[in-house]
Amino acid sequence: MDRKLIVKRMLHSKFFMTGAIVAVFVVLVSVFSPLLANFDPTTNSLMGRLLPPGSDGHILGTDQLGRDIFSRLLLGSRYSLAISASVVATSAAIGTFLGLVSGYFGGKVDTLIMRISEIFLSIPQLILAIAIMAMLGTSIVNLLMVLIITSWTQYCKLVRNNVLVQKNMDYVHASQVMGAGKLHIMLTQIFPNVTTSLLIMISQQIGQIIMVEASLSFLGLGIQQPTPSWGNMIADGRTYLTTAPWMVIAPGAALMITVLAFNFLGDGLRDVFDPKRT
Amino acid sequence: MFIRYILKRLGQTIIVLFFISILAFALIRIAPGNPARMVLPDTATEEQVHAKEIEMGLDKPVYIQYIKYITGVLQGDLGTSSSYQTSVASIIANRFPATLKLTAATILVSLLISIPIGIIAGIKQGTMVDFFAMLFALIGQSMSTVWLAVLMIYIFSVKLNVLPAMGMGGIQYIILPAITLGYPLAAQVTRMGRSGMIDVLREDYITATLAKGIPESRVYTKYAFKNALIPIVTVVGLQVGYFLGGAVVVETIFSWSGVGQLANQAVGNRDYALVQSLLLVIAAGFALVNLIVDLINAKIDPRITLE
Repeated sequence: MDRKLIVKRMLHSKFFMTGAIVAVFVVLVSVFSPLLANFDPTTNSLMGRLLPPGSDGHILGTDQLGRDIFSRLLLGSRYSLAISASVVATSAAIGTFLGLVSGYFGGKVDTLIMRISEIFLSIPQLILAIAIMAMLGTSIVNLLMVLIITSWTQYCKLVRNNVLVQKNMDYVHASQVMGAGKLHIMLTQIFPNVTTSLLIMISQQIGQIIMVEASLSFLGLGIQQPTPSWGNMIADGRTYLTTAPWMVIAPGAALMITVLAFNFLGDGLRDVFDPKRT
Repeated sequence: MFIRYILKRLGQTIIVLFFISILAFALIRIAPGNPARMVLPDTATEEQVHAKEIEMGLDKPVYIQYIKYITGVLQGDLGTSSSYQTSVASIIANRFPATLKLTAATILVSLLISIPIGIIAGIKQGTMVDFFAMLFALIGQSMSTVWLAVLMIYIFSVKLNVLPAMGMGGIQYIILPAITLGYPLAAQVTRMGRSGMIDVLREDYITATLAKGIPESRVYTKYAFKNALIPIVTVVGLQVGYFLGGAVVVETIFSWSGVGQLANQAVGNRDYALVQSLLLVIAAGFALVNLIVDLINAKIDPRITLE
């Protein structure tokens, strides 16, 4: 597609622009969080427990141990984003590779890879993650592993289905006739044509993984106290809902805005790259 | 054709179930430590552990252990829970109806909201109505269950004080958990319904029926909707897997004593036999739901059986 047209569509898509601006903002805030946090996120203060937002320089108040919520929110954003980004990058790479192989070679390889991914797809992601985390014990490495194991299949299926369509296109036949190697065709001919759908999925998966991580951390199976994560901050605040609602509202709103931004971005991308659009 | 399709899908489901059973079987063995110690309470003595090892057949080769495990499972023996000290099968059977009730309410609530919104958005594509419907859907897909649940309690129980925050009982208790669990599904169905309608309305036969003078409302509900239905049925089926996961969070927060809450308690109690069996039962249930969904779809659209 024409580059100018894409840029024009991007600038005109409300969803894309909103998503892009907010997502960039969230990423920048989390990268520069040490400069922005005005308190240490893990220091307790018995004198300053459950302070409402705005008191004593605590922008978003304090929690039940007197820790500054704003600083915890910022540090939590680093964990959420870093975990999600690394899980998405790794599982997208694994899924894309297997999807390319599966779709291009077909036959027994395809059947094998598809059967394996069907099995993983047939187990609810959060349930499998809970079971594995409960057995292996909670650590960041285990958390990353569980999230990768449970999410590569989606990319694999997506890429495979795209490859099946692409591989019968004339340009692929032409390369084959000209004697191009299989690897060459897969990487330089077919892959560039599946990147659009891949990009849309990656953008949506970033939000998705953030939510799964939040659920696991909420249940005590993800990031452990005193390290803050949005999920375990909500778990903490749940008990104080009547007296200190800001404990829940701050991480909840951060979670929602971040996921919303990446979903807007994904949806916007779908619109921008829609070939049927005139 | 239909019979052949049923047999094919049945075969695939059996293979999936077989691998799920291997996974569940392997799960208890990937955990660090002695599997015999894990099923026993923490106070067990060395002799008890040793006796349990022999009882569990841990001295035998792995494939014999698996055969023993799967024969037990097929006969309804899922082992003994270390925290409840009774049979795992009976604990799960006790908790299942509550989860089924919540799932049914969730599907009902979300379809009642999303199908009309999706259809109207599809018909009115590009208008403000469509924009707000899409916004409703995008927010639903971006709401973490954890956050939505706590937010619902804050608004409806703490601030407005109109619905109970936790527990089970009359219909008022199921509303908040069902909405919490159902909003993401409603969001997805709204989108599917909308894009389904848009695709169908582009078809020539719809233009033809409209041209013949058949009332619009009838064309939309009778002809167009039926074709937009297939993706919706599939999505509902796939989302059951999400419910079962989401149910762990929602049931825990709303104190709803179904299998989701049970799973969270089992993890907290380090009750590995229970965790293992919950994984097995939930994954098997999900596989069966998807089998049923595929068969329903094949009934609605017989072309599916030809693939």
